[in-house]
Amino acid sequence: MIGQYYSWGLLVVLIAAVAGFAALAFEKDDLHRLLLIDLVEIPSLGFIALLGTDLAEALILPGLVVGIAELFALSQIYLVKEGLQDRPVRALRIEVVQRSPAPLVLSAILVVYGVILSGFTGGAIAALGLIFLLLAKDSAEDLHLLELASGMSWVLWIAAFFVFMFLPEYWYAALMGAAIGILLKVVTKMALIGTMWGEQA
Amino acid sequence: MSTVGGTPLFLLEFGDIVVYFTPYTTSLFILALVFTLLVIASRPERQLDIAFGTDAYLTKEISLPEMRFRRFMAIACGLASMGAVVTGDLFDFCLFTALVGICNVGIVAAVKSRHVQNAAYQYGLVALAATVLLFGGSAMVAATTGTLSLPILATGTLPAVPLAVKAFIVIGVMGEGMAPFYAAKAEMFRAPGAPYVIMCSLSSLLIFLRVIEVVVQL
Repeated sequence: MIGQYYSWGLLVVLIAAVAGFAALAFEKDDLHRLLLIDLVEIPSLGFIALLGTDLAEALILPGLVVGIAELFALSQIYLVKEGLQDRPVRALRIEVVQRSPAPLVLSAILVVYGVILSGFTGGAIAALGLIFLLLAKDSAEDLHLLELASGMSWVLWIAAFFVFMFLPEYWYAALMGAAIGILLKVVTKMALIGTMWGEQA
Repeated sequence: MSTVGGTPLFLLEFGDIVVYFTPYTTSLFILALVFTLLVIASRPERQLDIAFGTDAYLTKEISLPEMRFRRFMAIACGLASMGAVVTGDLFDFCLFTALVGICNVGIVAAVKSRHVQNAAYQYGLVALAATVLLFGGSAMVAATTGTLSLPILATGTLPAVPLAVKAFIVIGVMGEGMAPFYAAKAEMFRAPGAPYVIMCSLSSLLIFLRVIEVVVQL
């Protein structure tokens, strides 16, 4: 049921948790405590990951979501409490990033890697590349192409599902279609978020 | 199948996860349901501040957006407590409890007062730290017994869960539930708006009552 090194793993995680809690007890600054509490959250995922089963994989995600939700809520309360709300999120104002081909190269690498991975994860990675590019650039891009691609990918996805249902012998083509569709969908959706952030600045 | 809270009157099966309504959990569920309905229907109270040494008194106005947000949070808190008291899965129980913690912070933090915000922030830190023990405890239960299902754990045929793990879960729930430990913090309840703040106390009470049933069965 559990692996032979479970107890040792448990010991390591417990030491990490105790260290985190000790740091939390000594720290007095509110912002630092917020960062430390994020650190303390990691052992809680470690406890679950130590199970080392499919169940653990399934349980990590809700655990992570709850942790992030509480962290978001706390950071929002911190902003209100310290009166820091008049500072909106801005684009990356880093001179080196803005005046060099570095963003283009980096995002190209990310997009190519994302396409190789394909599926949801690949879409997220490729989109990260596009978000980075759009955040680093100042100009507002034309969004029509993105919207068109988003719509087309949706059609591709649905069409792939119809092939699954009605023409199951072509399952491989349908699988590829669905994978490319979800890839494009995630890329365009997240890239839109990137452009919107860029425009606000 | 029989649990500490009595024989289930009704079982709701979602595959592996079985939601069960024993007389004990049903009464807790009805309590949460009734109070959630009360929160939906009622209007917030207005606090009166009396200025010392004079005859003057002030009514605190509660703005509509603030009232709406707190009501939403109170309803969410009610739903989370309903889930926490009837669920038949240990990890689900921990998730619902964590949700109750977040909602409690939300109910209090909506008040635009620096003292209240400060208290809510400190409470949030405690609630977040408590999730470590909560999730850690439930993961260790899964590691020692191989299941998270409370009805299966209640049969008593599985290996015993160490006392430390039970303590983990109880302390985790204590951290999430605000009422008994933070009622002493006046800032927390200085916030105006009666029915919503009471939701914090009620949800904490419900999850405390449920965790007793959960831990006894392990």
